[in-house]
Amino acid sequence: MNTSLIGADLHAFVASAQSQLRIMRRYPTAFIGQIFWPVMLPAAWVLIGQAYSGGGDPRAMAAFESRSGTSSITVFIFVGYAMYMWLSSLLWGPGTALRRDQMTGTLEAVFLTPVSRLVPLFGPTLTNVVWTAFQLFVMGVAVWLLFGVVLPLDGALLSLLIVVAGLPAMYAMGSLFAAAVLRFGEIGPAVQFVRGALSLLCGITFPIVMLPGWAQATAAVMPPTYVVAAMRDALLKGASPLDVAPAAGILLLLSVVFGVVAVVFFRILEASARRTGMLGRY
Amino acid sequence: MDEIRAAFAIAQKDIRNVSRYRFVVASQIFTPLYQGVLPGLLFGASFAVAGKVVGLEKTIGTDDLAGFIFLGGVVSALVATAFWAMAMSFRNEQEMGTLEPTWLTPTAKGTLVVGRALGGIFWFLFSQVAIFAVGILFFGVHLRWEMVYAVPALILATISLVGIAHLLAAIVLSIRDANLFIDCTNFLFSTASGVAFPVSLLPGVLQPIAFLLPTTYAMDILRQHALGTPPLIDPLLEYAGLIATTIIMFPLGRWAFARADHRMRVRGTIGQY
Repeated sequence: MNTSLIGADLHAFVASAQSQLRIMRRYPTAFIGQIFWPVMLPAAWVLIGQAYSGGGDPRAMAAFESRSGTSSITVFIFVGYAMYMWLSSLLWGPGTALRRDQMTGTLEAVFLTPVSRLVPLFGPTLTNVVWTAFQLFVMGVAVWLLFGVVLPLDGALLSLLIVVAGLPAMYAMGSLFAAAVLRFGEIGPAVQFVRGALSLLCGITFPIVMLPGWAQATAAVMPPTYVVAAMRDALLKGASPLDVAPAAGILLLLSVVFGVVAVVFFRILEASARRTGMLGRY
Repeated sequence: MDEIRAAFAIAQKDIRNVSRYRFVVASQIFTPLYQGVLPGLLFGASFAVAGKVVGLEKTIGTDDLAGFIFLGGVVSALVATAFWAMAMSFRNEQEMGTLEPTWLTPTAKGTLVVGRALGGIFWFLFSQVAIFAVGILFFGVHLRWEMVYAVPALILATISLVGIAHLLAAIVLSIRDANLFIDCTNFLFSTASGVAFPVSLLPGVLQPIAFLLPTTYAMDILRQHALGTPPLIDPLLEYAGLIATTIIMFPLGRWAFARADHRMRVRGTIGQY
């Protein structure tokens, strides 16, 4: 591939992100949901935690701390739900972008352009970063205003770096999911299932040690597990960048693995969709 | 008599529609399990001391975590039936283009809601039987026979929810982004009813709102009989609150629905969304 082709693909990549941003702006009520859910969902789970802990019963709190490594239910839950919201916007956003193109009848037109197939696969992820950043900000404010927890500035900044380190792995995982549209068409129910499975596996609501061994082994190859654990370390245990470096390394490795698998998977499914005429069917 | 027949015909249609989508039927059972029950059980177990959820016992008077979660699921599913199966289904018909023909039939408009309520209650009962079977087999749920004493409270709450569904349907037919509205209000209504935690843990300003909801009383009465938990307030007052909210909500909902129907006819917005 020569330099001009790469430049053209980059141009198309930015254009793809711009189109998604424009669609986002056209539906302003979506912002209500982007404020409501990142606040209300974790807030409800914090209150559930207060019910289960007997309002801070020392024995219950000691048991929770021995399993989760912290006695702060609020930050534990809010960090977990930051990942849940990220997974939701990832799977319902870039994860289903090809499906939306299919439904609106633009997928075939996009595939007729001479750009790399990786552009429609990865293009929508750029816009999704905007939502993720917005949700993190909303949750940071909510945890302070609703529960009076002021996040440590260095921990918050390190958490942002962890999110940046997790971006490639997370979006590679989302793209793997998105590629499935070319084979299966309707993936709405699968989105629900995958989100539910990941939120059970990756320590979003409860400590991972509560899971059986096989589930913990599965969690160990999922990028969200490392992002959540590293963010909790940064915000609750005062971890330094050096402490979370191993998690960042694993995330980098997983981004390569998921990225390669997503690209190969996408090429196979695209070839199959061309043969079967699946692109326009749903 | 014709209206009763029409209501059952609508319920039959809704039951048939859902049964055509096997994955939807299965998800009615599995979604609550993996999105609510499993995280709740594992989160609760992380507070357990020697297998006993001492914190929950201190909060509500029992350490029966599975019972607490599964019974919360009953009222949560009942609320979801009112919000999604009864109220939101009008928007679904609007999107499919079948609302206008339905509106042109000589059936009373209130019957359209009642028919959906019957269909929704069928699927509610179906999913609850399946979920409790899973709970008994795999999660150690123990049902006490005394829980049948809570059935009148659940029936009253259902009647009240049908009234609330009328009110919600009126809103759904009047606004554009009904999905977001129903999603958010369903969550708030369930949470404020104490399905996941006792309403006494709600922030002070929200507690009076919880006592305006019929489901708050029904939830507490169900837990008293099924788990032996102490009541939030005097049980007689709880029944009085439940009856009062039902008496207010049902006619209020019917009135709002009739107003929305009239407004749609005047403005010609039945096909717009």
